[in-house]
Amino acid sequence: MSTTRAAPAPSSRRAAPERGRSGGDDRRLTWRNRLYRFDMRYMPYLLIAPFFLLFIVFGLFPLLFNAVVSLRNYRLDDPTLPYWAGVENFSRLLGDEDFWNALYNTFGIFLLSSVPQLLLALVVASLLNRKLRAQTWWRVGVLLPYVTPIVASTMVFSVFFSRDFGMANWVLGLFGLGGPDDPIDWRADKLHAWIAIATMVNWKWIGYNALLYLAAMQSIPRDVYEAAAIDGAGPWKQLWRITVPMIQPVVLFTVILSTIGGLQLFTEPMLFDPNAQAATGGPNGEWQTIAQLIYKVGWKDLNLGYAAAMSWALFLIILIVAGVNYVVTNRLSGGRK
Amino acid sequence: MKRSWTHWARAATVGAVSLVMVAACSGKSTTGGSDAADGQVTLKINFWGDFGLQDLKAKYEADHPNVKIQLNSGEYNAQHEDLQKKLVAGNGAPDIAAIDEGFMVQFRSQSDKFVNLLDKGAGSYESKYLPWKWKQSLSADGKTQIGLGTDVGGLAMCYRTDLFKAAGLPTERDQVSALWPDWDKFIEVGQQYTAKTHKKFIDAGTNLFNPILGQQQVGFYSDQEQLQMDGGPKVAFDYTVKAVQAGLSANLVSFQADWDKGFTSGAFAVLACPAWMLGHIKDTAPGTQGKWDIAAVPGGGGNWGGSFLTIPKQGKHVDEAYKLLEWLVAPEQQIEIFKKVGNLPSQPALYADPAIADFKNPFFNNAPVGQIFPKMAQGLTPQYLGRKNGPTRVAVENVIRRVENKSLKPDAAWAEAVKEADKAAKS
Repeated sequence: MSTTRAAPAPSSRRAAPERGRSGGDDRRLTWRNRLYRFDMRYMPYLLIAPFFLLFIVFGLFPLLFNAVVSLRNYRLDDPTLPYWAGVENFSRLLGDEDFWNALYNTFGIFLLSSVPQLLLALVVASLLNRKLRAQTWWRVGVLLPYVTPIVASTMVFSVFFSRDFGMANWVLGLFGLGGPDDPIDWRADKLHAWIAIATMVNWKWIGYNALLYLAAMQSIPRDVYEAAAIDGAGPWKQLWRITVPMIQPVVLFTVILSTIGGLQLFTEPMLFDPNAQAATGGPNGEWQTIAQLIYKVGWKDLNLGYAAAMSWALFLIILIVAGVNYVVTNRLSGGRK
Repeated sequence: MKRSWTHWARAATVGAVSLVMVAACSGKSTTGGSDAADGQVTLKINFWGDFGLQDLKAKYEADHPNVKIQLNSGEYNAQHEDLQKKLVAGNGAPDIAAIDEGFMVQFRSQSDKFVNLLDKGAGSYESKYLPWKWKQSLSADGKTQIGLGTDVGGLAMCYRTDLFKAAGLPTERDQVSALWPDWDKFIEVGQQYTAKTHKKFIDAGTNLFNPILGQQQVGFYSDQEQLQMDGGPKVAFDYTVKAVQAGLSANLVSFQADWDKGFTSGAFAVLACPAWMLGHIKDTAPGTQGKWDIAAVPGGGGNWGGSFLTIPKQGKHVDEAYKLLEWLVAPEQQIEIFKKVGNLPSQPALYADPAIADFKNPFFNNAPVGQIFPKMAQGLTPQYLGRKNGPTRVAVENVIRRVENKSLKPDAAWAEAVKEADKAAKS
């Protein structure tokens, strides 16, 4: 920030005496000056323009077009409907129990995944921040789940959580829970399905968040910890009183990221269904998320207008939740922003 | 001075390259093959499961060196939904698209998007087809025929002789048929089986519901497109819930991994068998050869499934596609498919052909499939399947699954099924 703001200043200062010094070279110098000024003043904008052009084409336009579609009747199997629907799609949304069910599921899975995920990531990061043997090996190790293709890992988890031959039930059986006689049907009720899906999400993202935290932690000066240790603060207290407040911007960043990711959850619930094509998220929508419902309404019921309205509702919900999370996390971690 | 020049030039290059990349990304990719240039034609056929086309493809390509056939097998629902999307988009549909009877009404109401096969001279086929089969793909005004039938479902019961023997039940197919003249008796036999072996009798409640529904006079919809759950669906639903409550169902989901595993592990002993199911069993559990046999279905005739081949109008090689379509429904090929995967042709004249009439399926303990299925198909009065038949069936199947996994009480199930079906009808 500070460098870009400071950069143009010397150019104008240097340009002024130059012009005064040699009057004969005025035209050439002015031309060069202009070039120079263009370089300093506008080139940064030109260089970041490609992103914004891409964003306008692939981000903003679809977003606005989606808003238009959400106000229309857009049924693929019935083109005879009147063009405009007004707010009909949105008012239908309010009374649609499928939508509220999906919203409920999405938040349930989001809570079961985000909270443990970020807490565990903190713990993992603070462990990795110590002096360890084969440090790089450990650090790369926690990132491996993130590298695994999400479809592949979900397929494996889907078998892991199967009722009859699943490893999850076998492991629980070792502790005397469930077991082969009374196996847990992971797809039969909300809580079990949510836990199964949240496990997949956590597995994938803990290492990724841990590395973000680790990077931030490394910028904390050692002597703060030393002083705390002399004052008698144990590792747990150090984590909560020193580490977390000092890496607070990164914590906020991960909270926002996992909010967005969690509310858009699609692949895991989709592939958790034995019949993935159905997109119903279980026989009674036990784990149908909003993203999944949007897919179903758009591409299976062929009602694109209604699906667009749902997408916009989801967009607004994410904005609100991310905002609330930002404020809450900021308070909790003692921020002053 | 020189330094600032190179600096500027470098920056400009970066900017320009980025802009070019943006332009390239938003540009239209070129489409279309080199088909026409050398007279080569590629015909794409979309279907699901096993239509028995693998060997026929090689044969046709050998006879027609300028034609390449591309077989594209997908998931049942996905293929139909995909076709619907492509029809609306006006681009991307295959040259030949298979459509199941469950989705036929939906597509024949868009007959303007398909090639009218009557224009191609398909009218001569009318007399060769089972009359109801011919009518199923005919548009409401009778002027447009969008497809030619391939197979019809028919119904029978496949059962495992080895498991029946272990449970002390008869294994000979006539004796087995005599065990269950109706569905009540069928459930009783199932209870005997589970009591004796402590194993499940049927694979899934949904695979009891569908065949029973197929036997009823009316299905989910009247021919006025009104949802009517109190007729056929109620009968089928009640038997299904009764069987589930009696603990007969292995609670598997059709066409999924655990279901396929069930065929090999003996997770269930009987399975409702339309003709097309034979191919699936053979493909999934080749190790169970000779352990299966086929008996009559309780409650008499009925139909479950059966497909048509259609030609979407947007294809580039409509004439070649029609030539291939005619070839595929010709008697020789239909008999070949019947022998290979069990799909029963929809042209009754073929039933008298010794190649079918005398055919015994070695995989199913030499059951006379050439006698069992044609008899069923000829005695049929099929139901009308509404436009929303597909989604409605999925909705009711989901309610049955909830009864099976005990998240829904059997007493409350019917009201729930009506509610869900209603929702699907309006979706």
